[in-house]
Amino acid sequence: MKKTRDAVVIIAEAQGDETAPITLELLALAREIQLAQPCKIRFLMVGHGTEATARDLARRTGREVVAVEAETLRDYNTETCLEILQEHLPGLSPRFVLMGQTPRGMDLAPRLAVRLGAGCITGVDALCVEEGELRFSRTAFGGKISLQMAPARSITVVTATPGAFTAPQESVSSQGTVRLVSSARRSARSRTLGIIEAPRQERGLSEADVIVAAGRGIGTRENLALIERLASVFPRSAVAASRPLCDQGWMDYPRQVGLTGATVSPKLYFACGISGAVQHAVGMQGSGFIVAVSRDPHAAIFRIADVCVVDDLEAFIPAFLALCREE
Amino acid sequence: MKILACVKQVLDSESVFRIREDSDWIETEGDPRYGMNHPDEFVVEEAVALKEAHREVTVDVLTVGPHSASQVLERAVGMGADRAYHILTREEGYLAPFTVSSWIAGFAETRNYDLILCGIMAEDDMQGQVGPMLAEHLGYPCATSVVRETCRPETETIRVEREIEGGRRELLEIALPAVLTLQTGINRPRYPSLSNLLRAKKEKPELLDPARFPMPEDREQFLRAALPPAVRRGVVLEGDTEQKARELHGILKEMAFL
Repeated sequence: MKKTRDAVVIIAEAQGDETAPITLELLALAREIQLAQPCKIRFLMVGHGTEATARDLARRTGREVVAVEAETLRDYNTETCLEILQEHLPGLSPRFVLMGQTPRGMDLAPRLAVRLGAGCITGVDALCVEEGELRFSRTAFGGKISLQMAPARSITVVTATPGAFTAPQESVSSQGTVRLVSSARRSARSRTLGIIEAPRQERGLSEADVIVAAGRGIGTRENLALIERLASVFPRSAVAASRPLCDQGWMDYPRQVGLTGATVSPKLYFACGISGAVQHAVGMQGSGFIVAVSRDPHAAIFRIADVCVVDDLEAFIPAFLALCREE
Repeated sequence: MKILACVKQVLDSESVFRIREDSDWIETEGDPRYGMNHPDEFVVEEAVALKEAHREVTVDVLTVGPHSASQVLERAVGMGADRAYHILTREEGYLAPFTVSSWIAGFAETRNYDLILCGIMAEDDMQGQVGPMLAEHLGYPCATSVVRETCRPETETIRVEREIEGGRRELLEIALPAVLTLQTGINRPRYPSLSNLLRAKKEKPELLDPARFPMPEDREQFLRAALPPAVRRGVVLEGDTEQKARELHGILKEMAFL
């Protein structure tokens, strides 16, 4: 019997025993695909101790969950996970395979695409439908433009930016189904030795009402003093940075906001010299009110800011501070 | 040990550009500046540092791009890479990661590299696909987002720490040959030295015609470049610095932030 590729398969991620938020965001994308092109939606979960999470996922979504239980993934390993995905995915007749643009998704997606002879579209943040055809948007050039992509193969692997799609709030009428299978595959080429825990999170960031954040656009290390002074005029404030500044050693990594750092949602986020590339934006776009100051009028940060100031920081911040002192 | 460092030339992030009328790519305005993709600076540094730390290491550097991209090869040799190779494409524009990775694999497959290093992603198209796809074409294991590595040529393995969610790290031991994509911040890239830059000027990169490699069919279709929609309709403050500062001060005061 010839199988038609008629499913959107979401590769589920777990956080402890629960479903990771990105997995439910992917369900939103899958449903957008389904609206345009009728298909089944399935979850595939690969790991060790998957049953509890698989049941949680089936109950929350009312959908079909296939969980591959692998003793070999007691410690997660990409090479082993790839082999298992390659073994089990074709049986689920995927037209689309969805993952998060997360460290795991970014590690797996391009390689899985090559193995499946599939297309690969990474960092997707929107889907639109033109005359029944699917168009995936993904940002480029630090968020200044977006590239529109269309599938060209019978299978396409897609990764979605965390936070780009909103997890559906649906009442679930079905219990869903869970199918457990097991695998003993193990890659001989890579061995996971362990996990190194993160350095203590900067508590100031999660508790602050106001975060003043600095990016590459501040120019010199000396200008960090300006950022500190700016932060000091706001009560309950903290100073943060984008990744390039931490890479340069100007600020410690626990103060980094973004995909690979902290996710924050203060009442006010004051971005100074930050370009607003998606890697940073995903960590702060939930902030209550966003002020952005940058010399570059085309900076992507202005697309998510409530107040946009196109100016030189070295002139603007002292002018702003002078007004605060007047009082 | 043979190392290949893959580098890309990109438009400087502060250069002014707009979408071309045919929506096929971007075009620059004024005096555009091009340079080495920021994550690739860490790639060259890591390769050169490995050469200094181990005996009998050679570092080749490769780029895929138009004529002007030779500037990033010059910089890499200036930083200490041994030989430079340039897969010469006709012009700027979109190139699928599958195509680029296939060409690099075609280049690398007969050269027996022990370690291939790429940046975590290019700052322009931001796809992060070439490195992992290259690993697949060559049948090598791969780790992305690497923030630390310890190479052990004597056991033909490399230990890596790769960054995962929430600042945690996965510690892996991988068999060589392997492909790594490096996260920014893994090292402090050095400046090119004068003597190396002079050598780079004298020894031109070896040019390679992409036609010598198979041209794969597109696996996904690039349709067009577009302006992303604004998520919030922000107010753009007008006037001189003093006026803008006064207006912002007023807004933040009204909202009781000050």
